[in-house]
Amino acid sequence: MAVRGGIWGIFLLIMATFAIWQVTSGNARIDGDVLSLIGLEKTDDTARKPDIETVRDLLENDANQAIIMVSANQQDMLETATRALASDIANIPGTKSVSMPGYDAGNLARLSDFYLPHAQSLLSDGDRALLRDGNGEPVYQNAVKTLYAPASMLSAASLRADPFSLLPGFLAELGDKLGSSGIVQRDNHFHTPIIISLTPDLRRQGRDIAWVGKVNDAIANAQSTADQPDGFTIAKTGQVFFAVAEATAAKSDVQRIAIIATLGIFAMVLSVFFSPLPLIGTLITVGSGLIAGIAAVTLIFDGIHAIALVFGASLIGISVDYALHYLVLPADEKSPTARIATIRSGLSLGLLTSVCGFAVLAISPAILLAQIAVYSIAGLIAAYVTVLFVLPLLPARSVKHRSLIPRAYQKLDDTLRRLQLPRLVRGVGALAILGGFTVCVLFIPTDDDIRHLGHGNAPLTTQARLIGDTMGMGGNPVFIRIDGADSQTRLQTGEAVQNALRPLIKDGTVGSAFGLSDMIPSIKRQDENRTLIKDHLYEAYAPKLAPLLPINIQTPNPDAPYLQADEDAFAKFPELANLRDGTTDIVRLNAVTDANAVAMAIGDIDAARLINPRATITDQFAHYRNGATMGLAIALLIAGILAIARYGLIRGLCVLGTPAGAMLIALGGAAAIGITINFFTIMALFLVFAIGADYVIFFSESQKHGQQDATRFAVFLSLISSILAFGLLASSSVPVVSAIGTIMAIGLPTAWVLSYAMCPTSVKADQSDV
Amino acid sequence: MTHRWFVPLAVSALTLFLVAMLSVIPARADGTAPKADSPSAAMPTPISDQQYLTGTFALDRHLDGFDAPLTSTGDFTLSPRKGLIWQNLKPFPDTTVMNDQGISRKHDDGTFETIVSGARFHQFIALISAVLAGNWEPLSDQFTITPTKTATTPNWQVTLAPKNNNGLSEQVSQIVVKGDEFVTHVTLHKPSGDRDEITLSNQTRHDLPLPDDLANLLSGNPD
Repeated sequence: MAVRGGIWGIFLLIMATFAIWQVTSGNARIDGDVLSLIGLEKTDDTARKPDIETVRDLLENDANQAIIMVSANQQDMLETATRALASDIANIPGTKSVSMPGYDAGNLARLSDFYLPHAQSLLSDGDRALLRDGNGEPVYQNAVKTLYAPASMLSAASLRADPFSLLPGFLAELGDKLGSSGIVQRDNHFHTPIIISLTPDLRRQGRDIAWVGKVNDAIANAQSTADQPDGFTIAKTGQVFFAVAEATAAKSDVQRIAIIATLGIFAMVLSVFFSPLPLIGTLITVGSGLIAGIAAVTLIFDGIHAIALVFGASLIGISVDYALHYLVLPADEKSPTARIATIRSGLSLGLLTSVCGFAVLAISPAILLAQIAVYSIAGLIAAYVTVLFVLPLLPARSVKHRSLIPRAYQKLDDTLRRLQLPRLVRGVGALAILGGFTVCVLFIPTDDDIRHLGHGNAPLTTQARLIGDTMGMGGNPVFIRIDGADSQTRLQTGEAVQNALRPLIKDGTVGSAFGLSDMIPSIKRQDENRTLIKDHLYEAYAPKLAPLLPINIQTPNPDAPYLQADEDAFAKFPELANLRDGTTDIVRLNAVTDANAVAMAIGDIDAARLINPRATITDQFAHYRNGATMGLAIALLIAGILAIARYGLIRGLCVLGTPAGAMLIALGGAAAIGITINFFTIMALFLVFAIGADYVIFFSESQKHGQQDATRFAVFLSLISSILAFGLLASSSVPVVSAIGTIMAIGLPTAWVLSYAMCPTSVKADQSDV
Repeated sequence: MTHRWFVPLAVSALTLFLVAMLSVIPARADGTAPKADSPSAAMPTPISDQQYLTGTFALDRHLDGFDAPLTSTGDFTLSPRKGLIWQNLKPFPDTTVMNDQGISRKHDDGTFETIVSGARFHQFIALISAVLAGNWEPLSDQFTITPTKTATTPNWQVTLAPKNNNGLSEQVSQIVVKGDEFVTHVTLHKPSGDRDEITLSNQTRHDLPLPDDLANLLSGNPD
């Protein structure tokens, strides 16, 4: 026994070292961003990218950007403050670059160099409409006036390549489509943005909290040093701010709850045993579960998500069961080996049931579910082995039956043991519970909207809305995805989309739309432009323009190379990567006020679809919920088979009916107080199932090994610890955490009570059932 | 709203605007503002907010590799408070208006086409106002200013080299401004090797208000 315990102890130490090394070295980051888990499902590589994957790629790109909007009544002050703040932020570690569209010079030279050789293939919409109508006169007049205009981009090189000055119009339109603004004036109030690019490893290395803190300090400093604070405001938005705010709120809640729960469990164990040894045993068991869980997840995955971590911590609730189950056994003359033998079958069946339940999740394609499954399975097995190998090494301590908790328990136990239902009634009840649970899961209202999961941050939401309304930046990045077999097909579709959106942009339904085809027109469009320019401009007006120019005007070469969306273009403009994702092109929309109108406008374009990331992610969580529900059903089925195999049909149904009844009551209770069903509440039901199954299995098994009183008391202590660990979550300010806590707070006591009802402990009942 | 790509266009235009404004700056070869009781006080005092300046210009646009420049002539009107009107008369009539809303061009039908717009243009007007007050400091943020002594007093010459941190250097490599009582000659050298030579003459200071036609142009109202 000691050898096995020693080996296991060494193994635990190795796992702990490995887990600590993985997390602290950055090999396995702890990620708090919900979005980082989505869209990572295993899919057929040859298939078209699912929406969620495109959304994830897009959001991942956007996650590296933050926007700060500075507002002031006076422009001088605005510029001074903006430059100072931008400089401060540029110096914060984690900031990759800072730009000020209101004050930066931009990249006209780069664009001119890129487009000038293709100037005779490019037309603005306005010029194209004129030439299509055969009206080249205004285009010619513009070219003449540009020659002598004081504000002109004219140069020798531009005149040779673009004698009719077509390119400035194309570039001006490009700028409008991009929709990025410099300084906006509203009601004598001026606003300008600071665009911040973050280093890609900021979140991965967990430095985002520090970065946000320093940005907040810089903003506070700017506000405190403002010359004229009246009207001077600074707003900020970006995923990094929301993610940090959410993580901070959740962390604060969880810390508070963890402290109370830990102290409560300590007090409970100490008051029951009047000895620290059982407490040490409990801690070793729980700790070994946590260590093994983290080690397993960090070994298999690149990181561990905070949600998986929280659910993994649910091991406290289950592994405490295992520890207490052993610790409450009477410290009589039996050897540790004999004592452990009395509960081994119960522990094993409890473990098997829980592992089967979580194993169903492990085969899910969703990374989140797989992480939770791996964490839980590894953790439970480790806790089980610790109870078998390590706890027997500790000196046994008896329960002090005259202390407060045992006495309170005795009264409750006496009452509940009077629940003596006939066997048939229990069987029918179990069937009714199972049917009711099925109906409840199928018909209870669900709500997977991701906006309802988080704590929410009213100031950040208000600021994001303000920046969106004022600058047309940030916010939910609605976009149109364009699929097609080849690049040219997609570019043509992109042009069709722009045509369809033009009325909406004109009436303000859409602020702006920008896609790859705006930067790189399709070859078909370039051909059309060339024909229009040749037929309606050069042939008619080149003779008139020629005398004014010190050059010979050459007729456009029909065989000139086309502007292509090739590697060269992507190398020159890395930002184009935001507009293409594999074989999908993206048209990014800004300031959309009516998404339905957009969807209708592009409804006839088969290869184009409006994607709302928020709705897509919500759908993904609905998918997770369905997967988890299916997993729960399979887990129930497996548990039912195991129970029937072990206890026979009716008693097996009763055993199964206990966790099912607990889940049913938890669902109903939660619904009654306004908690809707989502992926996370289903996962809470998973925990109710796993812990509730343990309760009833321990009850049933105790009737075989004759330690019924000790077992029931162990289950009671386990219930208290689980309520402390999970029930307190109901007090969290984070809706999803609160919902999980509420489900647990209702479900676990129900499971405990049902264990008495479904598995009567009187001698008579035992005799009739066993 | 101004798109960042087109800021250089605005910078280019407003550099011209800035230089035009210099035509009303009483400046000495050492680049300092004259004191009222100094010898150079014979030069005109800065134009006030209650005044505007009119004159004629000749713009010779020399394009690298071409023998003959593109030449245009016309009138200009400058109001420190309202902006600049640049009216080409030859070879083609064309009117460009620059004010704190941006740059616009007046069409033959009286309508205006906005070439570039944005609240940021206000800062240039503010810059000019500071310069008109005889304060070179705002210019020194954008340019390295090098005064050059000239052979004859009161003639003077100032060379402005854009600093690299503001994007001006992509559009202008050097500006040479010459003058006596007013700015009389400006040369804008561009990185491409092209250059614009502007000769200003017949400059006259007037008291506000502006004539209606000019006021309408600067306010963007059609006739």
